[in-house]
Amino acid sequence: MNRRHAIRQILVGSAGILIVPSCLEDRTKASFLLKNYELTGEQEKMLAELAETLIPKTSTPGAKDVYAHQFVMTMIDDCASKEDQLKFIKGLDAFNNFTKRNTGSSFLEASMSKRAEILKAMEDNKPENSEAAAFYKRMKSLTIRAYTSSKFYLTQVQVYELVPGRWHGCVPVNQSA
Amino acid sequence: MGRQNTYDVIVIGSGISGGWAAKEFCQKGLRTLVLERGRDVKHLKDYPTTNLMPWEFEHRGEVPYAIKEANPVVSRCYAFKEDAMHFMVKDTEHPYIQEKPFDWIRGYQVGGKSLLWARQTQRWSEYDFEGPARDGFAVDWPIRYKDLAPWYSYVEKFAGISGNRDGLDILPDGEFLPPWELNCVETYFKEQVSKNYTDRHVIYGRCAHISNPQQIHLDQGRAQCQGRNLCQRGCPFGGYFSSNSSTLPWAERTGNLTLKTDSVVKAIIHDSRMNKATGVSVIDAKTKRTTEYYARVIFVNAGTLNTNLILLNSYSSDSPKGLGNEYGLLGKYVAFHNYRTRISAQYEGHKDFKTDGGRPTSAYIPRFRNVKKQETDFLRGYAAGFGSGRGIQRDYDGFGEQLKENLSKKDLGPWTVGSHMMGETIPKETNYVKLSDTRRDQWGIPQLSINIDYDDNDEKMVKDFIEQFTEMYTKAGFTNIKTSDSKQAPGLDIHEMGGARMGHDPKTSVLNKWNQLHSCPNVFVTDGACMTSTSTQNPSLTYMAITARAADYAMTQMKRGEL
Repeated sequence: MNRRHAIRQILVGSAGILIVPSCLEDRTKASFLLKNYELTGEQEKMLAELAETLIPKTSTPGAKDVYAHQFVMTMIDDCASKEDQLKFIKGLDAFNNFTKRNTGSSFLEASMSKRAEILKAMEDNKPENSEAAAFYKRMKSLTIRAYTSSKFYLTQVQVYELVPGRWHGCVPVNQSA
Repeated sequence: MGRQNTYDVIVIGSGISGGWAAKEFCQKGLRTLVLERGRDVKHLKDYPTTNLMPWEFEHRGEVPYAIKEANPVVSRCYAFKEDAMHFMVKDTEHPYIQEKPFDWIRGYQVGGKSLLWARQTQRWSEYDFEGPARDGFAVDWPIRYKDLAPWYSYVEKFAGISGNRDGLDILPDGEFLPPWELNCVETYFKEQVSKNYTDRHVIYGRCAHISNPQQIHLDQGRAQCQGRNLCQRGCPFGGYFSSNSSTLPWAERTGNLTLKTDSVVKAIIHDSRMNKATGVSVIDAKTKRTTEYYARVIFVNAGTLNTNLILLNSYSSDSPKGLGNEYGLLGKYVAFHNYRTRISAQYEGHKDFKTDGGRPTSAYIPRFRNVKKQETDFLRGYAAGFGSGRGIQRDYDGFGEQLKENLSKKDLGPWTVGSHMMGETIPKETNYVKLSDTRRDQWGIPQLSINIDYDDNDEKMVKDFIEQFTEMYTKAGFTNIKTSDSKQAPGLDIHEMGGARMGHDPKTSVLNKWNQLHSCPNVFVTDGACMTSTSTQNPSLTYMAITARAADYAMTQMKRGEL
């Protein structure tokens, strides 16, 4: 668990005692400190919903369960250039505007089916080569990275072995490991 | 001179060769001071990332942008990732001057780069030692394979080398622990190459990993390699050889080792009346206070270019250009390995098979160009790695439940294969390092100025590698063949060698056949700086053997009162 998850958990944990979590959510700020760019609490929520729409909770955990949107925010904060950070924020707005134009509401306010329509449009590369499409591509790839490198995925879906302790150079594909 | 600052031997540097010097002297009862410019790294205790799971890294392995931007050189190194970047020198911490682009990759801590090395351990052969004399470049090596063979055996037994006895004169067999298997496609390629060529061989890449621990390894507290492939983090099993897991603790157990960290060697102290070195001048990296230490014998194992720097900076009125530099050779004839070129492809066969588990090596193709005689329009040749594997074919299509379903699929992709060239480069007077006249580091020591480049021979070799491997891959039925020339700067191979080369003649070489400075026989250089030529093999095993041999000689001479 990284420090941001830890902070998040403390917030959620203590909030559970007395405060309703929504009261904690400052509408103007993200839930943890970003060093190199700014996101509002609203934008953070939107990223969480977008991640969850990409990889929803089913009988198994989804994007929110593995804190995918927080990973995205961290990666844009720490591992992207200033230029890429600006592109990401502008793209996020463009994505929201595209959503509004096509559904009449923001992504956060849109229904599940409307959200799915927007993602379908993005997958079909509409709008073409736009800021919104670039943002979607980045968001999707980072969300997938968060999910496929999460503890859940690497212990339950495709098991990561820290200590293989064996090597067989040529075994039949059907043979279970 | 203070008794408490006096030792039998001083070893400058605790990396792969310095560790060996320390072990050899300590176990024979000599009081040995090892000086390390960086911090301490204790085996097991100081491997903070060694057991972290992928999701425990905040950036899942990626180096933050600000660090990459500030440190472009080290960021080009394949091992500079979130899990091991604490073992690598940042550009900003230790600046140097690039007269021509040179990626100087360094590890300033106890163990040096032995924590991070690629662990490939191929012996040199007679063809390699004879090379300069036969082909008329550099100077004749003052030693031959037979001089080093027993010392290869000696270090291999202790370090633990996994290998297959292949019976090739181009790559002599050693003292091997059992090999891990080649995989299906590596075996297939091996068969194809031996069918199509008489002089080309695909063999198992010998490596410094314990496949089957012997008593000597258990005595070091080391266990069998588990195939984790996380070696750069430091190994909790001691599965691979490093100074930290092997030679240094061994030396420490004798009670004869004094290891001083944060000790930046400024210069070797030379007594011109006695024509010998008396000790070294050391600056504390933190307090910047200078202390002198004294010994009968000094081994310089600071890492190729830093060894050059120390010798160049050890000037006095009788050797104004640096210790061992009477003929202006020091710092010149530096060479490296040409690692620019890669080739990759796919193989559509063996679809019903896969690999299972992990192993620390893959296949190796010894040099086949110009071995018995000159046959191309360039000198020398190249070795190559060869590896193959099959990954899960990730399907990133769609979103929602469909994407989730796609990401859970375990369908295997085709076998992919790849090779990288390891070319010998020719040492030249024009490839040199020198001290900067103007710029100093934070300890007041002149910065190193590096002027090293490729030449026409290297370009021809790149072209030949691409042609020959394309042909070998094509004949094996590989498809989708892709070649690339990274044009990476010298240095990124991390195999820089020379500058204080060995030779017969003090007028044309810096060191004699026992690695002593011709002009100051109680100073020995046994790291990469001593190399007269580079051959194609990963050099660390040769440094280890040369060090053990030189230490043995030094002790014999000390006993006789010659040193």
